[in-house]
Amino acid sequence: MAKIFGLFFLLSAVNMASAQDKFLTKEGFVSFFSHSIVEDIKADNNQVLSIIDTTTGKIAIQLLMRSFMFEKALMQEHFNENYVESHKYPKATFSGEIKNLNEIDGTNTATEIVGTLTVHGEKKEISTMVDIKMMDDEIILKGDFKVDVADFKIKIPAIVANNIAKTIKVSFELHHKPYE
Amino acid sequence: MRGTRFNIILGFLLLAIPLLLASIYWYNKPHLDVKQAEASYVLTAQNLIDEYQENEIATNEKYSESVILVKGRVFEVSTLKGNSVITLKDEDSESSIICHLLPEENGKVLNLKVGQDIGIKGICTGYLLDVIMVRCTIVE
Repeated sequence: MAKIFGLFFLLSAVNMASAQDKFLTKEGFVSFFSHSIVEDIKADNNQVLSIIDTTTGKIAIQLLMRSFMFEKALMQEHFNENYVESHKYPKATFSGEIKNLNEIDGTNTATEIVGTLTVHGEKKEISTMVDIKMMDDEIILKGDFKVDVADFKIKIPAIVANNIAKTIKVSFELHHKPYE
Repeated sequence: MRGTRFNIILGFLLLAIPLLLASIYWYNKPHLDVKQAEASYVLTAQNLIDEYQENEIATNEKYSESVILVKGRVFEVSTLKGNSVITLKDEDSESSIICHLLPEENGKVLNLKVGQDIGIKGICTGYLLDVIMVRCTIVE
């Protein structure tokens, strides 16, 4: 039952389009990067779920915070337990729209994605340019954008304030396949 | 007088050096070794899916950050960025367990067949449309 609710959540904006209009990945890539004078911190997530409805251009993305892999175990622990509080907010989501999807033809085109990013229970409107490749059997989205840690009410203790950037760069690469 | 100062400095160093070493070790402490770790829970793929579908938040708390051993049927074997991914799923189930394996497990995967029953040990990170497990190793 929860699976069905999950699907409804993801597709709530996507409506009644037939299955062949949907493209999906369960192995999308999202990483974030924080640069500071003290240290660089990077974490990768290779288990990102993303669904596109090609008739409307709507896109829904979900990821698990605990799937972010850090080089240092201690950083991963602090990230999950203290900063993003994964036990309370296990997922980050994005729900939005790929602009002019129907006019995109072929490969290596850029377009805009707008929507709402939810992290740590806090919502933020995001708009970013993406590289998009539209093929019959694959839709690839690639790009990056910046977010302010403060926008998501993530508290960084003063003692490590210099270790973590105020603005984090988020990169993504999503290879969607037709959903059967 | 000089002797007292020397003792103070010596005492300080004796305290400071282990503290410094401990903090360096702590800062660089390794990730949990899934291969060596004892599984805190042993359960079937379907049991794990059922638990998540019943109460996602409670199940997340129960299994997060602990090593679990899941027994199930191989539905699909694939690779992602050079690492193996095994999907455990019963034929009549909608959801599956997607297990992302450690790089050193690639050799073991070659002998796997779809439909085979296996046990996979790893860390459960949560539930999207499927249960996700990372840093997995094949145990049986």
